[in-house]
Amino acid sequence: MSPDPFLCYSEEPDVAVDLVRLARSLADPSGTGVRAVVPPGAPADLADRLAAGGAHGLEIVPGPAESDPQVLAATLAEIVRVAKPGLLLFGSTKRGREVAGRLAGLLDLPALTGATAVRLEGESVRVEREALSGNAVAIERIPRGPAIVAVLPGTTGPAPAPVASVERREHPTAPPPPLTERTEVRTKPGGQLEIEKAERIVTIGRGLRKKEDLTMIEALARALGAEVGCTRPLAAEAGWLSDDHWIGLTGHRVHPKLYVALGVSGAVQHLVGMRSARIVVAVNRDANAPIFAQADYKIVGDLYQIVPALLRALGG
Amino acid sequence: MAEGIRIGVAVKHGIDVALTRADRTTGLVQLSSAPRKTSDFDKNAVEEAVRLRERNGGTVTAISVGGPAAREALREAAAIGADNLALVTAENWASWDTRAVARLLAAATAQLGGFDLFLLGEGSTDHFAGLVGPRLAAELGVADIAYVRKLAIEAGVVVAEKDLEREVEVVRARFPVVVTVGQEINTPRLATFTANLKASKKEVKVLTPSDLGLKAEALAPVVTIERVAVPETPRKQVAITGATPDELATRLRDALRQEGVAP
Ligand SMILES: Cc1cc2nc3c(=O)[nH]c(=O)nc-3n(C[C@H](O)[C@H](O)[C@H](O)COP(=O)(O)OP(=O)(O)OC[C@H]3O[C@@H](n4cnc5c(N)ncnc54)[C@H](O)[C@@H]3O)c2cc1C
Ligand SMILES: Nc1ncnc2c1ncn2[C@@H]1O[C@H](COP(=O)(O)O)[C@@H](O)[C@H]1O
Repeated sequence: MSPDPFLCYSEEPDVAVDLVRLARSLADPSGTGVRAVVPPGAPADLADRLAAGGAHGLEIVPGPAESDPQVLAATLAEIVRVAKPGLLLFGSTKRGREVAGRLAGLLDLPALTGATAVRLEGESVRVEREALSGNAVAIERIPRGPAIVAVLPGTTGPAPAPVASVERREHPTAPPPPLTERTEVRTKPGGQLEIEKAERIVTIGRGLRKKEDLTMIEALARALGAEVGCTRPLAAEAGWLSDDHWIGLTGHRVHPKLYVALGVSGAVQHLVGMRSARIVVAVNRDANAPIFAQADYKIVGDLYQIVPALLRALGG
Repeated sequence: MAEGIRIGVAVKHGIDVALTRADRTTGLVQLSSAPRKTSDFDKNAVEEAVRLRERNGGTVTAISVGGPAAREALREAAAIGADNLALVTAENWASWDTRAVARLLAAATAQLGGFDLFLLGEGSTDHFAGLVGPRLAAELGVADIAYVRKLAIEAGVVVAEKDLEREVEVVRARFPVVVTVGQEINTPRLATFTANLKASKKEVKVLTPSDLGLKAEALAPVVTIERVAVPETPRKQVAITGATPDELATRLRDALRQEGVAP
């Protein structure tokens, strides 16, 4: 008897493909158990991408895009009833976590979010996740059959061998009426930057005195072939940079080869976003700033003197 | 709606992540003895609840699920302006997971007569799961709007701006609604000395699972935390020194070239 299948769901196409890879790396190689949801309103090529990405089966929900969490959860509940998954893998995006919580409540399922590694151990799933605002890593255990684990974007497995014939199942649902109405959608400024993919990052914190001084930071980033990152206050409070530059617990997690932190104190909620950087440089005029404990190269000094000097050193 | 809006707000007395220290040799964090404080976003939830009451009339009831020390989170909520306080507690409160907390909050909501609007943090500072809000909404069978940055009430309809990774959605829902908020929604006011004093005398209604008609099995944990450790990221810790900024900069540049990370 083959074990209960995995069911992968994310409204983000790239994350959905990553989930299928992750599921295939967990699945019994001889099994046929990785199924992926093609949500309503998905891009036309998603079904083919998921099939090429290694899914054994697709659960296709036709119809226009849906934003109401309760309708999405009811739709997924219907798929769960038919597909009988042992483990549901979700993307731990904002919408992913919201729908995970709603579905977990609806079907009384165990659920975990923010996972960075997943392993099957007998009847339970061992999940590594960020804990204590990213200050720590927790190992948590959730029973299979079925349960929801939402993994942070970027958590995936190797590219699996494609499947010869992919089973496609349509779910023409009759969901309950939505409880919320979306009256407007505004694209956020910025949005082109994919800082999580940058190889080098120059991050600026509240050590920056005024918005105009960003020119100097941008020049340094250019000289290093880097993208500009920032701490929460610069994006959320000052609004000097758009949210796509924001690094940390409530921003982006980055994995560059070089991370230069300028005028950044190093709060735990920031450190969680940059912990996996290979080489970390910190410039801060306070020798006791916590960021120095996370640095490979440390300069105690004024960024307003160091940055121009670095530009001279690199540009010369 | 002569009596205004009935607002519930969840406050977690969670682990203070800035003060939590790992054991030096094992790297393990002892959760049971860790210092605690009110979860960050819950302060924003209370502030928003109080502002909505100030604008629309009504009552704000703060509910915490936890042990005796969670009274402190309730007292803080009262100091900012919560009218009623409730503590959901039992001997084994520390074993309650997300599912149990959502169930208890749903049962407490029913017990306390229901709310038009229930506010929570979009993630708790220690667990940061983002699950309790939507789970509670599902338990209650009502609408939920998560990640809200702006909130208004117009004749029994909640109008919210929901902040997603790449877009902002304007979402409307009829009462009752569960809303989760983050710290961008407002800046919580500082409680005055007198408000703090009055808050510490405010009565806390204590509710146990049996008061709420919930059996122990319904609250048994389905997710267990096996260990929590602070990850070791070894860093080189090289202090670059020099007499002038240019000297420092040249040395840093050379070190980064050596590492193969600078042009
Ligand atoms: C739930 C929650 C989630 C959060 N999420 C995030 C997140 O995702 N990302 C994030 O970044 N933060 C986050 N925060 C905020 C975090 O706690 C810190 O407040 C924030 O990271 C501090 O930003 P900062 O380092 O820029 O500013 P500060 O802490 O003010 O530090 C500024 C630093 O600059 C130095 N400095 C000043 N002038 C100079 C100069 N001329 N030259 C050199 N150095 C100078 C100072 O010595 C200081 O160390 C979150 C907080 C909470 C509660
Ligand atoms: N023990 C608790 N008591 C009261 N509210 C809670 C509790 N746990 C979680 N919450 C609420 O649920 C929100 C999200 O928590 P979480 O799902 O753990 O990220 C928190 O910000 C609180 O508002």
